[in-house]
Amino acid sequence: MPEHDEAPIIITINGQAVEARKGAMLVDAAKAVGVEIPIFCYEPRLGKPIGACRMCLVEVEGMRGLQTACSTPVAPDMVVNTTSDQVKGAQDGVLELLLANHPLDCPVCDKGGECPLQDRTFQFGPGETRSLEPKNHFPKPLDLSPLVALDRERCIACFRCVRFSEDVAEDGQLTFHERGDHTEIATFSGEPYEGRFTGNTIDLCPVGALTSNPYRFVSRPWDIKNAPSICAGCSVGCNVEITARDGEIKRLTGRPDPNMAVEEGWICDRGRWAFPALTAGDRLLMPEIVDQVGRRQVRIERAVGDAGAILRRSGVRVAFLLGTPVTVEDGFLALELSHLLGDGPVARLGVADDGLGPLRALPGAQMDDMDGADVIVVVGGDPSSQQPVTELRIRKARRNGARVAMVGPRPTALDGNTAEALRTVPGRLGDAIDVVAERLLGSSRAIVLWDECDLAAEPDTAAALARLVASTPGARAIELAADVSGPGLRALGIPATGVLEQIEAGAVDVLITVKADPTTGPGGARWAAALNQVPTVIALCTHRSPIVDLAAIAIPVLYGLEEAGTLVSMTGRAQRLRPGAAGPEGAAAAWEVLVGLSHRMGQPLPDRTAAQAFDRLATRFPAFAGLTCTDLGLLGVPIVAGTGGPAAPARQAEGEGLPLVVCTPVFGDATAHRSDALDCVREETHLGLSPAEAGRLGVSGSTHVQVTTPFASVLLPLVEDHRLHEAGAYLVLGDPTSMAATLLPEGRGPVCAAITAPVAQGVSA
Amino acid sequence: MPQLNSVYRHREFQDLLTLSGYERAGGWNGLKATLEMTPDDALYAFHRSGLRGRGGAGFPMGRKASFLPVDSGRPTYVVCNADESEPGTFKDREILDKNPFQLIEGVAIASYGVGCERAYIYVRGEYGHQWDVLERAIAECRAAGRLGPDAFGPGAPFDITLYRGAGAYICGEETALLESLEGKRGQPRLKPPYPAVAGLYDCPTLINNVETLAALPPIMHRGADWYSAIGPEKSPGTKIFSVSGHVLKPGNYEIVMGETTLRDLIFDLAGGLRDGREFKACWPGGSSVPVLTAEHLDTPLDYESLASAGSFLGSGGCIVMDDSGCIVRASWRLAHFYRHESCGKCTPCREGTGWLEKILGRIVHGDGRLEDLAMLESLFGRISGRTLCALADGAVAPVQSALELFRDDFERVIEQGGSPVPEPMGVINA
Amino acid sequence: MTAHEISEFLAPIRHEFPDQRSLILPALRFAQEEQGWLPQGAMAAVAEATGYSQAYVESVASFYDRLYTEPVGRRVISVCTTLSCMLRGSDELLAHVAANIGTNGEGTSADGMFTLQRAECLGACDRAPCLQVDSNDQQGPLTHDAADAIIGALRADGAPTRYDR
Repeated sequence: MPEHDEAPIIITINGQAVEARKGAMLVDAAKAVGVEIPIFCYEPRLGKPIGACRMCLVEVEGMRGLQTACSTPVAPDMVVNTTSDQVKGAQDGVLELLLANHPLDCPVCDKGGECPLQDRTFQFGPGETRSLEPKNHFPKPLDLSPLVALDRERCIACFRCVRFSEDVAEDGQLTFHERGDHTEIATFSGEPYEGRFTGNTIDLCPVGALTSNPYRFVSRPWDIKNAPSICAGCSVGCNVEITARDGEIKRLTGRPDPNMAVEEGWICDRGRWAFPALTAGDRLLMPEIVDQVGRRQVRIERAVGDAGAILRRSGVRVAFLLGTPVTVEDGFLALELSHLLGDGPVARLGVADDGLGPLRALPGAQMDDMDGADVIVVVGGDPSSQQPVTELRIRKARRNGARVAMVGPRPTALDGNTAEALRTVPGRLGDAIDVVAERLLGSSRAIVLWDECDLAAEPDTAAALARLVASTPGARAIELAADVSGPGLRALGIPATGVLEQIEAGAVDVLITVKADPTTGPGGARWAAALNQVPTVIALCTHRSPIVDLAAIAIPVLYGLEEAGTLVSMTGRAQRLRPGAAGPEGAAAAWEVLVGLSHRMGQPLPDRTAAQAFDRLATRFPAFAGLTCTDLGLLGVPIVAGTGGPAAPARQAEGEGLPLVVCTPVFGDATAHRSDALDCVREETHLGLSPAEAGRLGVSGSTHVQVTTPFASVLLPLVEDHRLHEAGAYLVLGDPTSMAATLLPEGRGPVCAAITAPVAQGVSA
Repeated sequence: MPQLNSVYRHREFQDLLTLSGYERAGGWNGLKATLEMTPDDALYAFHRSGLRGRGGAGFPMGRKASFLPVDSGRPTYVVCNADESEPGTFKDREILDKNPFQLIEGVAIASYGVGCERAYIYVRGEYGHQWDVLERAIAECRAAGRLGPDAFGPGAPFDITLYRGAGAYICGEETALLESLEGKRGQPRLKPPYPAVAGLYDCPTLINNVETLAALPPIMHRGADWYSAIGPEKSPGTKIFSVSGHVLKPGNYEIVMGETTLRDLIFDLAGGLRDGREFKACWPGGSSVPVLTAEHLDTPLDYESLASAGSFLGSGGCIVMDDSGCIVRASWRLAHFYRHESCGKCTPCREGTGWLEKILGRIVHGDGRLEDLAMLESLFGRISGRTLCALADGAVAPVQSALELFRDDFERVIEQGGSPVPEPMGVINA
Repeated sequence: MTAHEISEFLAPIRHEFPDQRSLILPALRFAQEEQGWLPQGAMAAVAEATGYSQAYVESVASFYDRLYTEPVGRRVISVCTTLSCMLRGSDELLAHVAANIGTNGEGTSADGMFTLQRAECLGACDRAPCLQVDSNDQQGPLTHDAADAIIGALRADGAPTRYDR
């Protein structure tokens, strides 16, 4: 922002001359020099100040009456008093009035102990309430949704939640009803507040009016430990705060000091309420080995020891397969270990991306760069589903004046009011290049978001789009990366292919998987067959899945929120995970297990912490050149972009029938399926068809369809949706038990599918 | 008594409810004169006339109009505030009922001055009858070409859109009115920016009360100097007072500013009190102003004099109470009004108006304690002057002044265990 | 009331408002004319016709006294009880009307014919004590007999074909 560069101005606060940024509001200028002016309604992330709560009244020389510091911009030579008797009287008065109808149920309120109203009252307020009058009553607390509870009596009508709904999420669901002291938060006719971002209203609420249902009565502030970390739910890399009690995660919220360059403090409900997956029933708690006795549980030292013994055998050919969420350190140590073991293949489960080099070579952008964009074009994908918080930035960009276009075969939540929807024929994103060119014409600060999966399937379109963006002055690109590990592992040069072929060639004796189960994903059938040829599988897993049963040794590892390490976001931002909880007693971080293996092999790697591993890898890989773990700090830093790679020719879809349009909504992924908190918002795995196409295929009204590609044939629930294009079959993935992802080839790529009535069931009416 | 029906011309002329009748009575002469000037000269005439806003704040109309940026590159709007709802005020209702064309002409004059092609008249939701009258008048103007594509001359369009409120006192506050007109909840905006810079649809907007705009046609017809010479220098012109309560002839009276006293208004024009009754109190400018006592009856009616007496001219809604009334009960009733009408945006108003009502209610119903009076006094300063708009100040002013001027009455009601329900005055002039 | 009917009503005035949000209040008023209040379906129809969310439309409607989000009688009688009317017997008038229509103070009569509400200043203090039927011209000053006559006439009239509250 240009105004940051302007010379500061001098104002006087409480007798002290201080510097202030031109255009800053008094409340922020004061905060910057350590003077707290109390606030309730002020929240710049929600838009312009509204001056409603009147908590921030201060004295400004030369201005009549008291001024709201939240809405008074600093001016040269301004003289401000925030502690005068008049100001104290005003603060006292506002707090007394706020408490006049506020119930004194702090001891049973979930907000108690971390409540801004409580804190301000102690700091700035009256010692006791003088009111003798009966308090206004509202109907009992109720569930705004299964996730968010509302207690109207505690509400101080600060507007934060309703402004979030109207002006940030733009879902138009949460509003004020009635007026005056009858004002209450409500949805239309009491319907549940449904959306992807509803939990942010809880973080915003300065009192205990909006609280988290899953966190209800779970713990008190003095019982808990908070840690800042990164959500590993998708590639956005939202900065989060983890709350744990007795070593177990109880809550996830936006950070009190948000990362304005990433999520701005807004997180999606999937990110917020997926953590119960960490204690789900299928969590792998203890290592398992198969020996003469059979399959049995052992302690982790034994499992690692056994694995080390296998690896110590001379001439053993070892391959590594990395899944998600795998940190940069995990990837680095896999490479290190692989080197000690003869440089066998190391690959990640991801999108084969031969033709994406030209797009990745484009000038990149951070999320907050969208705030100042004049044009935003989203090519392919569905960020609302797959990288949810991106949606909020796009909405903000639109409010700031950007023109937004959504290009692709899918209907999205942004179509209509926010974005121009440019629907393409499934599998033919390339048709839209000319229209994209038109939208970019004349822009000077355009940002193009492109979907990794969709563009990988059409390398010729990727090349054309890259040329277009490169030739648009000021245009930059953001990759909508398919998974949370991809960008970091790519920066280490770890490819998305290579292991499967080696196994099939009989060249792998031991396969070490790290949070990866290829049998339920793309190419699953081929993987399952191949794994039978691998003499020894060592699986590092967070949860049970088919690979655990195949593995000779299964070692439980920690999940993102429990471990230290580094993830690289889709915008190329390296950010630190910090352990918010201990994880299962029998588990260890994946990087620790890999280091442990090196010790058991007698070739110990030197890393004692993830931080040391990071510092070491940073000296080896140019993407991280010059960085140390300390440099990443709380907010992370962008890594050096790669130079990209060559373009690739168009690819031919495999199989016959309708092109598959694939989406993996984070609200329906494996982790979401393990969290019962998300039952009410989970997106189920299914196949979508337009009613017309369903009719042509003779499956109208069927509950299920048989979907067949060259790679698998799977029975899936059918959803008919008139918004879908007739020339495509919309495959919504997520539930690993559905095996739906096995319809795709290893490394993804364009596929067509035959859709038929269920074989066993016959065609239902 | 210097009465002058400059706005209430329906009291001088017949048949002002038809366009032809209005024209026969000299209608449109003001607009004709205006259209012969440049817009700048028209603005200057508004300014020279000394006309002050008749809605309550008394801000000079010409100055307000001059605040509109000339070349903002955006449309300019004139909005007429016909959301008359200040208790005791019914002067605009009579203009809408009886003299709608003069308002239309006034809106047109103001619009020409500030370069507005579409003006809006925001009519109080409860004024269904007045809405109908205005709607017919506008239709007639359109049919006659007084409004439409050539209203201000060939190719110089001007039209008026009527907009109906739906029952909310706060929408009389100008920024709340704009919010309501934009299809939102009628809650006042943070200022600055003021409507002159960013008003309706974020465009430069001149917003004035019905009486203010209806005052323009005679001013432009007879000249700003004619108007500024009427009454005192700082409060020139005529002002309509609505008198109600315990008077024998409640009604509207258009008087020359400064030349009539409160006593003249109440005891002469409005017929005085019932036999045997003494004057107790009056709220001279609507209910949102400090109450006055018999001591103040000789105050001349103009902005400055009423302010010197400790009250305000306000909207000119003069509510009179004789000694049969109870000042505590009256204060409680007003507190109820403001609690009911608070929009709920600002903490002090949302919470404070209810608190005042609760305390006063207890006192009226016999549960008062003498300490309540100190509590009330400490609350006034916590509510008044602390909010975005003036509603909270208006809620406090009548109660605070009543407690100051009639403290004995409050103490007596507390000691006697409540305020007895008074014998109603009943229908005097039915 | 359907969204289509509301759209047709709005069509001739749409051009008068640069921001279509301004149509919400006129649309709500129009929707209320049919049943005299705003059932959820009517608010949903307004939402559809104006392009705003249902919750937003209800939020706006609930702010205003004369938009009814709960059912009311075929006639709404508003008795002004603010200061000027109070001084001239509005509280007694309110009680008298309540007795006449058989409500206990404010409320709806058992036969659904009337809803009685106390109103804040109706801008007719010269007619105090006054009442207003729907949004018809304010009537007063009223003796109790005159009020009875008004109610009697309303009973005889039955329900209006369009409600203007």
